[in-house]
Amino acid sequence: MVEMKDVSVVYSGGVDALHHVNLKINDGDFAFVVGPSGAGKSTLIKLILKEINPSSGSVLVNGYNLGKLRKRQIPSLRRTIGFVFQDFRLISSMTVYENIAFVLRVIDAPLRYINRRVPYVIDLVGLNGKADSYPNELSGGEMQRVAIARALVNDPQLIIADEPTGNIDPELSYEIVELLQAINDSGTTILMVTHEHSLVRHFGGRIININQGHVIFDEVVGGNLIHEG
Amino acid sequence: MKVSGFKYLVKQGVENIWKNRMMAFASFCVLLVSLLLVGVASLVYVNLSSMIGGVEDKNEIVVYLDDGVTDEEISSVKGRLDQIENISSVTFYSKEESFEDLKKSMSDYEMLFDSLGDDNPLIDAYRVQVKDIEKISDTIIQVESIEQVYSIRAPMDFVNILMDLRKIITVVCSVVICALVVISVVIIANTTKASVYSRRAEIQIMKYVGATNSFIRIPFFVEGMITGFFAGLLALIITWFSYDSLVDLMTGQADIVSVIGMNSIIQFGDVAWITAILYLVIGTLFGAVGSVIAMRKHLNV
Repeated sequence: MVEMKDVSVVYSGGVDALHHVNLKINDGDFAFVVGPSGAGKSTLIKLILKEINPSSGSVLVNGYNLGKLRKRQIPSLRRTIGFVFQDFRLISSMTVYENIAFVLRVIDAPLRYINRRVPYVIDLVGLNGKADSYPNELSGGEMQRVAIARALVNDPQLIIADEPTGNIDPELSYEIVELLQAINDSGTTILMVTHEHSLVRHFGGRIININQGHVIFDEVVGGNLIHEG
Repeated sequence: MKVSGFKYLVKQGVENIWKNRMMAFASFCVLLVSLLLVGVASLVYVNLSSMIGGVEDKNEIVVYLDDGVTDEEISSVKGRLDQIENISSVTFYSKEESFEDLKKSMSDYEMLFDSLGDDNPLIDAYRVQVKDIEKISDTIIQVESIEQVYSIRAPMDFVNILMDLRKIITVVCSVVICALVVISVVIIANTTKASVYSRRAEIQIMKYVGATNSFIRIPFFVEGMITGFFAGLLALIITWFSYDSLVDLMTGQADIVSVIGMNSIIQFGDVAWITAILYLVIGTLFGAVGSVIAMRKHLNV
């Protein structure tokens, strides 16, 4: 669960990134965050990951009060969040399996659990037979699936996907969102930042529109489920 | 952290060397060259200073005794000389002995000596060697205070030249070694920075998935340590072989040996342990610490 109360962010250069934002994303929600570049979407994500601190207001993420969180507790917070980057950010020197297993290594999971969990997740995102491939041997869509598997593998409460379809073919974008929806169906909260209005219109759901640091729209909208790509 | 987790991180460090072999090789070479430069400069300094020491040992003070001293007085002077701390050896040089030496050295004037008959115009003396040439002035004062001492001949000009030479060599070598250390540190820091920079994405990902700083640091530390250790090892081998060959070459040349003295050249065996320890410890330390310092700023995500 993410809860922001009266959150404002002013960067050191005097740039107002967010103004008195109030936002609540419940466990199990699937929400699209939309808005033009520079609207404050990235700032919102950085706040949730505690990469930055708000200038005022409070942020609660998965039971952590970020205002009171010490620096050395940040890893614990981030272990409850899975993150999917627009540019995948896979480690090029590691195979698909290692890229995913590595997250479990970070949390010091038992080897037996890793050996069971990683193949399961690879299967879940539809990458059977690709475990030993290196990222440069995969297509954009496949790389994003690996990234999603990596975000998913330690069973986080929340997955943040930052423009996950930005670097892949439009046709494959639908598959990626469908995959995220399937993950959401099993109870994981998903927050997906996107520019692609066609995707949002297609799938519908909760849409949070941010513009110039204000939440200007936050409602559940029905999708038309017709491919526009 | 569990033992298995630690093992994994160490293994990661070892694997990273191979995965990033080009950058690891660059760091290795930079460390190797830096160690060699500083090591060779230090060895040159140690040898130069040993050579000056060798020359210093050859020089002595001659202590002349009053004319007509008795045997008891001669031996009491020896006792007093032995008590002076800076004196390493005392040899009696009788007036008869010095008269013979004089005759030999001035054989063209045989007639002159013959005319003296049994009259020996010289006086008894002690030849004294000092331990520390820098304290020679104090030693002379102490020797002069002995009652039966008539006069002292010390090669003060030579001593001053040696002391100046030693000072110059120490200053020049220190400056050269310090400059090499500074240059090496800058180059090592930049190479490791470049190596880490190419992996900043990896570090960032680790931070996003909730890795602790030590989890990220340990493989870099291990990697730097291993690279540094092997750079130190190779530096040692190269130094050993080239040093030994150089010593063999020099000792084969009679002219060189006669000028600098055989004993002044330090054999590698005498400094092997200290060189090995310094190379390996400094190599390992610079490798590990350099790597961790270089990655530090990428941890702030």
